[in-house]
Amino acid sequence: MMRLGLLTAVLTVLASFCGMAIAQEQAASSDNAPAVHPSPAAGSGSPAVPTKEAASIHTRPVTADDKWMRIEGEKRFRTNCGRCHMAPHKFPPRTMATIVRHMRVRAMITDEDMRLILRYMTQ
Amino acid sequence: MLTMMIAAGAFFSSSARAQVPAGQVSFGQIEDSTAIRPVAIFSGSAGFITNFDGGEPHLDPIVMPVLLVPIGQRWLVEARGTLESDLSKQPGVSGFHGQLEKGVDYAQVDFIANPYLTVTVGRFLTPFGIYNERLYPVWVRNLQSDPLILPIGIGPSDSSTGGMLRGGFKVTPKFNINYAAYYSALSTTSYVDSDRFAGVRVGVFIPGARLEVGTSFQHRLQDERSNSFGFHAIWQPLAIPLDIRAEVARSRFGSGYWIEPAYRLTQVPFWRNQMRRTQVVARVQQFYLGAPPGGDELPDVNTKQFEFGLNYYFMDGLKATSNYGRQFSADGNKNVWTMGLTYRFVLPLGRDGDE
Repeated sequence: MMRLGLLTAVLTVLASFCGMAIAQEQAASSDNAPAVHPSPAAGSGSPAVPTKEAASIHTRPVTADDKWMRIEGEKRFRTNCGRCHMAPHKFPPRTMATIVRHMRVRAMITDEDMRLILRYMTQ
Repeated sequence: MLTMMIAAGAFFSSSARAQVPAGQVSFGQIEDSTAIRPVAIFSGSAGFITNFDGGEPHLDPIVMPVLLVPIGQRWLVEARGTLESDLSKQPGVSGFHGQLEKGVDYAQVDFIANPYLTVTVGRFLTPFGIYNERLYPVWVRNLQSDPLILPIGIGPSDSSTGGMLRGGFKVTPKFNINYAAYYSALSTTSYVDSDRFAGVRVGVFIPGARLEVGTSFQHRLQDERSNSFGFHAIWQPLAIPLDIRAEVARSRFGSGYWIEPAYRLTQVPFWRNQMRRTQVVARVQQFYLGAPPGGDELPDVNTKQFEFGLNYYFMDGLKATSNYGRQFSADGNKNVWTMGLTYRFVLPLGRDGDE
């Protein structure tokens, strides 16, 4: 009986996760485009507040370096992250910073790759 | 050993910061764009896997919570646990029964000393090959069954307790090197047990070809004091959405290999929305018994296995998975069917998107 209860609980949790995920995906779908246009909260799934850093980045004119970093960031994101798992959507900047630091240690991506990926994933 | 590793970390921390190879962006050059204060995260994955192993049904719920706590610019405290159960039918009893298994996969402190070196202390996933450390979580793996050779070189609970030096860096614009050197102490404590061994893994990643190859070596410092060797490769051809992963491992108790191609159906010209979410996977693997047999939770007999699977990604983090496999061994051939649902979640523990 206890096992059945456990099973029901797990199934309920999974079902609720599915519901949450579908809701998040629908909310995020419009923000999930590649980072051609800066959008600090892109793909977060919940309305994120733009950071001061992100705001400062996005209010200054876009330079050739910015373009290069964005293109390189996307390239390195696809090359590094896709080696082990499907490329995730974007998360809010502070969350993304933690995830990238975690993956730097776990997947041993280079410091340069980490910075470019974080920049790409937070724009 | 641990003291030496920490001392080496301190040395590299002070000396390597000024050394930037030609053609590489300097350590602080992209600093301004990434000066975002990270927030603690509660993340993890959950799955419910139904498994028919030789006709016997099993229900395998699993939850793997992950806690990530970044401290300052260079520290990260990370921990992952596993709660899982293998529920099966028992003779004479109705329903499914099994025990809840608990374990601490890793609970480690990482210090990012410089672009070339990270020092890790605590309990960590044993870096032998790639599967255990990088492909193990249910939301990452393409097939839900473990490779036959997975137990080789990773210790009794897949983890080590001790210290590790690791890192990845660009050598030239054409290739990167990653490495991990570790020492693990013997621990017999429940949930955090480990063996006494030392080892190293080195990999080369060629971004242009999207190819990574590497090798692992481990020496056990207890019991029979044997060596284990491994080789791994990941290749993602540029022209097609195909991932090919492979490992070879050899130890005193046995040896074997697995190779796993996975193809995403993004190029199929019809039902594009459904096809781009669908992935076809296969895995061929073989295990050869060593002497003496039965060590390291490996199969007791020579075994071959073929698996074919289909994954459907509803969205990022939510995946339906299914596969059929046929196992050939002296213990008898059998079919293995698997179906399941996996989910990955990320919850910030603090104000997100704001400094």
